[in-house]
Amino acid sequence: MNKAQRYSDEHLNAFVDNQLAAEEKSQTYIDIGHDEGLNHQVCELRKLHDLVQLAYREPPAPPTHATPGAPTRRAGLRFGVAASVLFTLGILLGGLIRLPGPATAPRATSAPSPAQHRVVAAAIHKEITLTQASQRTEGAVARAPEQAPATAAANPPSALTLPAAANAVGSGPVVAQSKSPGKTQTKVLIHLARDDDAQLSQALDDIEGLLKYYRESRQTARVEVVVNGGGLKLVRTDTSAFAGRIQRLQREYDNLTFAACQNTIDRLAREQGISVRLLPGVITIDSGMAEIMRRQHQGWTYLQV
Amino acid sequence: MDLLDFFLRSREAQHALQQARARLYRLAYSWCHSAALADDLVQETLTKALRKSAQLRDPKARDAWLFTILANCYRDHFRKLREMDDVDEIEISHETTPETESSSAEIVSLVRAAIAHLPGAQRQVVTLVDLEGFSYVEVSQILDVPIGTVMSRLCRARNTMRTMLLPDMQQLPALSPTIRRVK
Repeated sequence: MNKAQRYSDEHLNAFVDNQLAAEEKSQTYIDIGHDEGLNHQVCELRKLHDLVQLAYREPPAPPTHATPGAPTRRAGLRFGVAASVLFTLGILLGGLIRLPGPATAPRATSAPSPAQHRVVAAAIHKEITLTQASQRTEGAVARAPEQAPATAAANPPSALTLPAAANAVGSGPVVAQSKSPGKTQTKVLIHLARDDDAQLSQALDDIEGLLKYYRESRQTARVEVVVNGGGLKLVRTDTSAFAGRIQRLQREYDNLTFAACQNTIDRLAREQGISVRLLPGVITIDSGMAEIMRRQHQGWTYLQV
Repeated sequence: MDLLDFFLRSREAQHALQQARARLYRLAYSWCHSAALADDLVQETLTKALRKSAQLRDPKARDAWLFTILANCYRDHFRKLREMDDVDEIEISHETTPETESSSAEIVSLVRAAIAHLPGAQRQVVTLVDLEGFSYVEVSQILDVPIGTVMSRLCRARNTMRTMLLPDMQQLPALSPTIRRVK
């Protein structure tokens, strides 16, 4: 009699689920070793067991925000009491400590660095331009990205002296005032397409300044750096002069993404036989230009450095 | 001292319930394939568990006890919803198709579709055994059915899944793993 026929499906299921007594289990192991068909059946059952586990390893998140780590009502109460005490203390201390003159009061917070000034001014100016353009016609919106590089080329970042931008930087957290923090998310896409090390270094300074500014002004922001063409040099393991810096930035700012253009990678492989390896944490996108267009449609601010 | 013990036990029980939440949700989702309904079921389960926590004599039996409450909540939900339908016969629809999923998620989609195709009673047994690793005895207690029924349901469920899944999986293209986006 075939051993596979001797074992019922229930018996094999119990074997796979570890529900048999030790003696029965040992005997089944011996028989499986001598019967290919039986072995195959057991393998299939084990595979199904693994597949079910795989299928529900990451179920979709529940629609409510109740997570195991979510604060309980009691924690919320505690937080509220602590906040009230701190608030009262703040008012008392504010009354006691008087600053020498009204002119110095607004400067009590840390002032943005020149690099922050430049990039934030450019970002704000770009947002204003895009908003104005969108208020006019859709055609104007479509032209906005094309105008951006031209504007940047005509006015180097350090020479940005537009009244709106200058005012915005001068008053510090003007963006936080104009947009309620936490509700609106600032999204900036930075495009790098040239392989000049000095320019790439400058770009990283600007990106860091921008991220620092958003963090200090408590704005929720996302910054995506799209590299294509010569800009790919920045994120290649064999050519990047800033690998350490990029990794540090990625560690410090989880709202920063570096995205490399797959078309450029493919072209390098095809034309120059270079097999590109990217720095850890750098993602690939199908096409740099397509990504830029997609992001602009989604309301991202576009900056070409 | 007794009062202190009481508070400590109470805090420990609450912590255990929080820990079990993710597991309850995963199982509830595998039964109904609706994130909103699964969340509601888990919420109801935990509310009942907290209310009836005095009934739990042996903390080691907490898992089986919690999943029993979940199974009852699931059954009650369908009773309230459609009194004429037998929960054991209800098949749930799977909202996604393999075409809508990326190739890396296709296996997950296929398996979920196969589970969704199973009658409810078989689905419960196979997920309790495979996802939560309960023994047949525990499953029979959780679902309040004889152990022989558990074994036959499991057997039928796996036979159906084998017929549905394994031939399909051989036709899937072998792809090298790639990361397109990480955020």
